[in-house]
Order: sequence, then structure tokens, then C-alpha cells
Amino acid sequence: MSLRDAFESGRFVVTSEVGPPKGTDVAEMLETAELLRGRVDALNVTDNQAAVMRLCTLAACVHLVNAGHEPVYQVTCRDRNRLAIQSDILGAASFGIANVLALTGDHVVVGDHPEAKAVFDLESVQLLEVIETLTKGTDFAGKELHGTPELYVGAVVTPDAVPVKPQLAKFEKKIEAGARYFQTQAVYDPESFKSFMELARHFDVKVLAGIVVLRSARMASFMNRNIPGITVPDALIAELEASEDPTRTGIEIAARFINDVRDVCDGVHIMAVGAEHLVPEVLEAAGLAQEVSA
Amino acid sequence: MIVVRQKPVEEICSMVARHRNVLLVGCNTCAAVALAGGEKEVDTLIELLKLTMRRKGETTEFSGCVLQRQCEPEFIEHLDDRVYDAILSLGCGAGVALLSESADKPVYPALDTLFIGASQGFASWRAECSACGKCVLGQTAGICPVTRCAKGILNGPCGGVNNGQCELGDRPCAWVEIYDRLETLERPEDFKEIIQPKDNSVKTTYNKLDLSGEGGAR
Amino acid sequence: MNTPRVQEEVGSSTGKLFAPCRAACPVHINVPGYITAIGEGRFTDALETVLERNPLPSVCGRVCLRPCEEGCRRCQLDQPVAIASLKRAAADHGAYPAVLRPRRRPESVAIVGGGPAGLSAAHDLAELGLGVTIFESKPKLGGMLRYGIPNYRLPDEALDRDIDHILEYGIEVETGVKVGTDIAMDELRERFDAVLVTAGLQASRPLPIPGSDLPGVLTALPFLADSACGEDVELAESVIVIGGGNVAMDVARTARRQGAKRVDLICLESAQEMPASDEEIAEAELEGVRIHCSWGPREVLGEDKVMGLRVTRCTSVFDVDKRFSPTFNEDNVQEFYGGTVIFAIGQGADVADLGLPLTQRGAIDVDPLSLTAGSDRCYAAGDVVSGPTKVIDAIAAGKRAAALIYRDLTGVSDIIDELDEEHAVLSKVPDAMGQKLETRRRVEMERVEFYDAVKNFDEVELGYTEYEAAREAQRCLSCTTGARLTREKCAACLTCMRVCPHGAPSGEVGGYLYFDADLCHACGACASQCPAHAIQLEGCNDAELQRRVDRCLFNPELDTTLAFVCGYTPDLLDVIGEKARIISVPCLLRVSEAAVLDALQSGAHRVVFSGCNENMCRFPNAMPLVAARVARIKSLHTEIGMEDAFDVSGEEPAEVAAQGEGVAEGGAAS
Repeated sequence: MSLRDAFESGRFVVTSEVGPPKGTDVAEMLETAELLRGRVDALNVTDNQAAVMRLCTLAACVHLVNAGHEPVYQVTCRDRNRLAIQSDILGAASFGIANVLALTGDHVVVGDHPEAKAVFDLESVQLLEVIETLTKGTDFAGKELHGTPELYVGAVVTPDAVPVKPQLAKFEKKIEAGARYFQTQAVYDPESFKSFMELARHFDVKVLAGIVVLRSARMASFMNRNIPGITVPDALIAELEASEDPTRTGIEIAARFINDVRDVCDGVHIMAVGAEHLVPEVLEAAGLAQEVSA
Repeated sequence: MIVVRQKPVEEICSMVARHRNVLLVGCNTCAAVALAGGEKEVDTLIELLKLTMRRKGETTEFSGCVLQRQCEPEFIEHLDDRVYDAILSLGCGAGVALLSESADKPVYPALDTLFIGASQGFASWRAECSACGKCVLGQTAGICPVTRCAKGILNGPCGGVNNGQCELGDRPCAWVEIYDRLETLERPEDFKEIIQPKDNSVKTTYNKLDLSGEGGAR
Repeated sequence: MNTPRVQEEVGSSTGKLFAPCRAACPVHINVPGYITAIGEGRFTDALETVLERNPLPSVCGRVCLRPCEEGCRRCQLDQPVAIASLKRAAADHGAYPAVLRPRRRPESVAIVGGGPAGLSAAHDLAELGLGVTIFESKPKLGGMLRYGIPNYRLPDEALDRDIDHILEYGIEVETGVKVGTDIAMDELRERFDAVLVTAGLQASRPLPIPGSDLPGVLTALPFLADSACGEDVELAESVIVIGGGNVAMDVARTARRQGAKRVDLICLESAQEMPASDEEIAEAELEGVRIHCSWGPREVLGEDKVMGLRVTRCTSVFDVDKRFSPTFNEDNVQEFYGGTVIFAIGQGADVADLGLPLTQRGAIDVDPLSLTAGSDRCYAAGDVVSGPTKVIDAIAAGKRAAALIYRDLTGVSDIIDELDEEHAVLSKVPDAMGQKLETRRRVEMERVEFYDAVKNFDEVELGYTEYEAAREAQRCLSCTTGARLTREKCAACLTCMRVCPHGAPSGEVGGYLYFDADLCHACGACASQCPAHAIQLEGCNDAELQRRVDRCLFNPELDTTLAFVCGYTPDLLDVIGEKARIISVPCLLRVSEAAVLDALQSGAHRVVFSGCNENMCRFPNAMPLVAARVARIKSLHTEIGMEDAFDVSGEEPAEVAAQGEGVAEGGAAS
């Protein structure tokens, strides 16, 4: 079932992600994908995540399609201009890759090639418009396409950004530019997330709550300090600190959150960040394992 | 104004090392205002180069002068560089280029040209304009996202905004500032308009500007 | 808004701008100029600056009545700078410059009277190349300076230093010659192209009251002259001095030194009206002189010698029009007992023998514009024209006469034009600026205790040491020695505006940058940062510093350290080591990056910045700028691999550290 169908079926959608390798050996990536087969609706494939150079997303998506998975092709604006991005998206569509997630992308300065030229010929809102144009049968310059891609387009939003108002205003621009669904940055406070969803519900878009499984109090504090837009409440950090098995506690926290918000949003996007093996456990703890595979 | 900064001494030395008599030429416009290319810095650099070369056992000689503006042919015309076998320019890139055009000897840059900026008080400047050729300041409350946003993006803050700061940690988020100022100006609806990808062709078109011809001159 | 005073570059046509001290000085000595030099320990430079305008620095440093100090802008903050005492320090510690005799011109001038007016005129004329001969009736030159002012205030050695320097210009001197008696005016007129009479006031008479012809009645000038020549004047144990001016104080104090056990000073004026300076009065009282105000002498008592003085109460000295018209209460009578009465009630001219036109008062009647008396080529100036004035007024009069004579004899009017050139004067310290300036008490000069002072004629005030002088000079606000803008070079970067602590540079007038001199106290922040070298300071500027560095680095050794030291921080030898060659600057900001690099090429093995210290700094914005400069110089040196060639000695000098400890202890105790 495609991601679009999953959303349109009205059931609670689950997605996760895999990262392409630094190098040509895709075995590990495929193993991870295998671990999640049947448990998630789609797998995001990151695009030189955190500006660290890796195997190209398009190729990774092709490998996943070939293995029978449903990939979400993440496209950032950091490394390619509008020509390259359009041609890559057409290329992806030609392999049957239907899901595209439009992102601006981290700056090269934070990655492993900080001296690279940051392109940003487009950014996320403009990228969404460019994709929208492609799906209507022309390129961004208005030239007709031979073969029109059919794409299901997503974008991201950070509900806990500080300050939040410009972020929400941009969220609206992304919807106007053609985003059909959103994945959020990791969220932990159900109440705060619910108030975001109250706003989001004014628009005809699907929203996946972003989940990053906490594995220790230290990891939670680190994210609070270093990752913009993520706020782990103090109570959760205390809970992790008090726990004898923090990993287990983290899984419980994620499951609890999912249950808290499952009535207000359309699904969850679980970012494993190097611990994909925990994803099935979270789903099990949240009672979601059955639903997806059904 | 054009904001410039002096290159590392070693880099300058390596350029002028093979010459025996070098003329340092300052520029009393932007480069002087940027505290990098006026008479003071010409004097300082001469002393620095003399000292460095002498320590290296070289006998290169250095003299200096300052032009009112290096990017004007008429000012350059009066430069008497006959006895020198190289010129070291303390002007911006435009100055170095124009000097090179009229000189019959190598012209080297002593400065790196950084940005078009505005003063932030004593000895401090901020990049304010990238000379993109298509000004959007009218939509962005006078804050240039092309320049002040690290990514130069045009439709709002990226997800990296961190307490109003850029994810690079070296500046405030331009888009948060734009949003705030639009609110102050009671024009928040301006933010909603999607700004189209930039027409970068103007950068190619305007590799020169000539208003002297018919109909062009003002 | 008042039009700001704009300090243009030197040589502009807008006229001169004087600090109030300089403006108040009758000869307009460049006071801020020499005080700045002393502040940096350059006493010889300071002396040369004084000598440009005043050939008697050693004299004026001691006895000038200091109109300059009343003008000092420091008066608004605390006390005026001790300008006169610093002039003395310049003469005490500086070296009189060798005189380069100018080419001799054909014109010659006779000067009648070798007092301050005559000496000044002689100096100026001889400096211009004219032949000058001074005719002096007394055995030595100096006039009132030698024979009127007592040695305890102006020792002969101090006077002779100035006179010797003046005479080096090749001036002829004929002493012991009284013009009008020994030689006729007509002969002088014949022998010389011009004659200048600066005979001063030589006549000193008693009041025409009964008994004033008794033995034991003296007059001030002969008494002072005899004392000045070291003669023992026979005085009674009790001496009565009549008069309320400075001469009377000198007489009274001299009488104490001549052995009088008791000295009563009787004056007509009330304590407030006394013409003597407050300091002179105070010192006389401290030396035991009893002052009795508002008494008018009626009779010198005694049969064949003086027994005392009868006085009546003076009820007022001046009438409603401020004219001298004393009234008395004849019923209020008092008698003072004493064996000697000395009249010190003013001096008169004694020039009847010269055959010149005289005023009713007996002074020489001159044309006020040309200073000529009666005939062409005969001039008169000084007290003999104006009546009693200050020494510095006599000097000014002599210089003016010299300038006029020079013009009349040569047709060149440069000198008189310069004297007459108009000047603007700096205003008061604006409040906002005053608030940012620290107060600092005047450095007290060491002096002989009063009970010792009356034992002999040795000088009472001992003068500043070099260190004390520098400290006192550093109180100067450096008015008018600050920023000068060269507009043609200005890049309009506005850096000066951003670093000035007082807002002196401004862009408001006519779209150009200008400097409001009222707001500038020459901290040098603007000049130090100006990228275009468009700002120079009057005092220690780049060129001056270069000269001093060259001088200092003459014949360097392999390991010579050149230390630039903030002149405002006390003795730093401990910190920078004895071997260092030291250049003291008003602020380390005066030392540019280029100056440091240049010094290293000129022979210095190492350059050290020393004494930049928060506790001593008197300039509001300087410390962070010095810190930034130090960082820049360090980074430049690091870039070229010479980290060791530049250093900063940041230790506090012992004096300051000790103060700090005291505070800390006090804090702990409370």
C-alpha cells in the first residue's frame, strides 16, 4: 500500500527512516529496512543528512524499491540547483518512487565538508512549488514534460521552534505551495503538540508526529542543548535518570506519547537515529504493530 | 560600502617576495573606512613587510601612497609607479582589477573583499547586501534574507532556528528578525506571500553597466 | 546652539585658538605646550617653548602673579594647574638652549634700564639681529627683579640664569651709567637708531606727615635694594611697615630677616581691599608679621629718632566712583611703638632728567599706539609708562616696544602683526565632559618651614622635583593641544566620532566633520584610530614620536629594549627593567602599530608597552583601545614569527598596588 493510500485509508500511519551508507555497501541499509518491513508504511531516505556526504538518496531509494519497500525520497536544497533537483526528482519518479519530502537542508558548515559551496538556489517552500509544477506536466521554466511524475509531497515543521510564530507562518506557506502531509521535528510534550495540531487541523493536510526514542537522560539533555526545536520536558529527563533500564523507559515514553496523541494526528514518524532495532519495540509497546501489518 | 580585510602577512609576502621594489597603494574610500586600506594601514603594512623581509634576508624595498579611490581610472592616472616592479593594492577587488589594467607590472591584492556592509559602530560592520541584482527588501521589512540568512532562503526561517539564533550560531536568524519587524510595522500579511526563486540571470546580465549611451545617460 | 570652536589644521586662515591660560598670559606663552612637555618629562623642550614667548622663565616661574592660573579650565574641576611653578621646573630641570646668533643687522637700539621690560625688549631685538646696548644705572642688570624682589623669593642665581641666556644674543651692557646724568639722551639718540626707555619706577617716598624726616624712617626701595645686595640694614627691634601691597609684604618679610623681632604692618585698606596677593599676605603672617588693616598714618612719633607711629581709623578708602579718597574717624586713634618706620606706599618714576614729556603723575607720556615719547625713534615702555604693574606685564610691554621698534626701523611688521593677531579662546569645560574627568589635587611644592625661613634670605619655595613636576603637569587638561583634522585626507569613516569619549568630533556642521575644541582634551583616541592619518595631535604626534624614538635608539645594543610607558603611571623602572630605554607618552594610544614595527627595525631588540593601568588612566575610552592595539600588534608579530619582540608589562606599579592593598585592608576591617 502506498503512503498516500495509507493516509487516505484514515488509519494511523507509521513511517520511519534509513540513512544511506558512506560508501557503496548498501547491505546494512537494506538489513535495517528488512527489520522494519511490514511494521511501517514508508521509509524516509535521508539526503546527506546533517550535511554529511553519503551515497546518493536517489540510488538508495532505488535499492529499496527493488527490495519491495515504500521509500520517501528526501530532497534538500543544499547541494543542488533547480536543474539538478528537478532532474533527480524526474529520475526518482521514473523508478516508481512516488513520495518526496521537501526540505531546505542543514547548512554545509555543520557537516563534514564545511568549505563546500552551499547552493540553496531554492528552499523548501520554493521546492514544493517546483515539485507541484512538475506534477502538472511542466518543468519550472514552463517547458512541457514527456511523462509527468505522480508524486505525493510532504514537508516538515518544527512545532516547538523558538520563536514559533514565524515557523507556523512558514508551515502555512508550505501548505499553499503544495505540501500534502507533514512530518514534525521530534516532539515530547503532548499538550504542546495538541495545541499545534489545533492549528494544523484548519488545513487539509496530514500530520505525522515526530518521534525520537530517548535512550538516556544524557541524550535528552544533549538534544535540548544542541538540537534546535527539540524540547524534552524536565519530567521526562528525571524519569530517565531514575530508571534502571533507561532504554526501556525511553521506549515506554515514546509509546505513551503515541497513545496520548494518536487521536489528534494522522500518524507518527519514528526517527531511529542509529537504533532502528528499537522501532519495532516502540510500535509493540504502543500497540501499533498489528495495525500496520494488517 | 565594500568591507575588506587584510590578508595574512605570509600570503602577502609570498606574492611580493620575488620583487625588489614594491609600491603599496591604499584606497581612501571603502577600504580606508573599513580600517584596512587607508594611509595608516599602508604605513603599518610597509613596516611589517620591511621587518619580515629583512628577517628572511631579502632586500625588497617598500613604499606607499594612497589614492582617493582605486576604482577610478582618473585617480589611477596620477599614480607614478615607474621605479617599482610590483604593486600591492590595499583596495577592494575592483581596485586591484583596475590598477592591474593600467599597470605594466604585477598588481597583487593585500586585502580580501568580504561584503557590502554597513557600520555597526566603531570598527564593526555587518553584511547587508549581496548585490544579487533583484532586491527583495521591500517584502522583507528592509532586512536582506539573501545576505543575512546563512542559507539565503526567501520564505521564512528554516528548522535550524534556535531561540531566534541561526543554526550556525554566529548571528540572529534573519527570518525571525524579518517576521518581528513585519509585525512591528503591522504588515504580517507580507510574510505570507511566497517569494519566487531568485532570477539569478541578472547576475550574468549585469556584468557591466553602461549608462553613457543614448537614452541611458541620466 | 553656540557655534562650536573648530580646530582646523595648523596654518589655516581661521585665526588662533588659545587655551584660557594662554589667552590670560600677557605674552601668550604656549602654556599647554610646555605643560604637556613637562608631563612627558621633556623639560628642555618645555623650556624652549616658554622661551619662545618669555625670555625670563626662571624669574616668572617664581614671582609671576599668574593670571594664567585664573584662566585654567581645571578651576572648574578642582584647582588650577600650578602653571608658574611648572615654568620654574622647566627652567630648573631643562637646559637653556644654545643661542644661534642671527645675522647682525645694521640697526642699533639703546635701552635705558635693565629691568624686565628692558631685558625682554633687548632679547627680542637682539634675536632679530639688531645691535642692542643696555644702559643700567645700577651695578647689575635686573632692575626690580634684582633690587626690589627679595632673594628669598627670587635668588640672584635664578635671575642670572635668565639674564645670562639673554645676553648670549650678543647684547652690550653698560652698567653704573645713569642716562640723563652720566650720559645725555641726545647722545644716545645720535649714537643709536632708536632709544627705548624702560627705566621703571625708582622713586620711593615717605608720606608727608609729621616726623617722616626723623632718623629711622626708611622707604621701601632703598631698603629692599640694600637687603638684596646683602647689606645689613640697621633696624630697631620693632619695625613698623606702612603699605598694603606686595612690596609692603616684601619689606615686612625682609625686615624679619634683617633681624626685626616684631614687625607691624599698617595699611589703609581693609583686609578685603588689600592689593597684595593672598599668598603673600598669608606667608607674611606665617612669618610673624602682624597686619593691622584700616589705619591711616598721622604722625611718626619721636623727638630725635623714631619712637612709633600714630594712626587713625580709616573708614573707607574709595569713594562711590572707586576713586582713591580715604575718609577717617579722627576720634579713633592708636599708637604703635617701634624704632623704625618703613614706607612702602608705592613707587614713582624718576625720569625728569631725560627730558621726555611727562604725565601729571610723572610717568613718561607716550603715544599709546607707537609707544614713541616726544620724538621719533625715542620709545618708552613698562612701568615708567604705565605705573606699577606685574612683572609679566612689563615683559609684555618690552616685547611690544621691541616689535614696534623693529617695524619702524626695518619696515617689517611681521612681529607686531603676530603680537596683535586676534585669537579665539576656549570656553569652559562643558558639564558633560567635566563629569567624565577625574579630580586630582595639586601637587604641593616643598618649602622651607616659616620659622626657619625668617633666619636668612635663602629661597623659601624649593621647586618641584622632576617627578613632582611631571605629576603636576599631568593634571593639565591639554586644552587646544588635541585633534587637528586635515579635511583633504579625511575619508569620513566617522571612526573618530565613535571613539571620542566627549563627542568632540561631529558631523553636524555643513556636512563636514569638525572637532569642537571645547570638548577635546587630547586623549588621542581619534588620531590613534584614524585610518587616513587625517587627524594629528598638537602635542606628542607621529612625527614627534618618531624623533624621540630615533633619539632614544641612537647607538642601540644587541639586546636593547625600548619601552613605551604611559606618562601617567608612576615610576615603572622595576617593572620594565633598568636596561630598557624609555619613552614616556601621554597615552600608549600615541604609539601606532607602525611605530612599534619601525622601532624594531631601527635597532630595538624588543618593544614593551608599559603602564596602561585602570587605576591611573585619566582618559575615559583609552584602555579598551590600547588593549585592542596590543592585541593587533601581538597578532602581527605572531604572524611574522616575532612573538618575543613585543610585550606588555601589565603589573601595577608599587605605588598603585600599595594603594589597592590599603583599600583591601580597610574593607576587611569594616
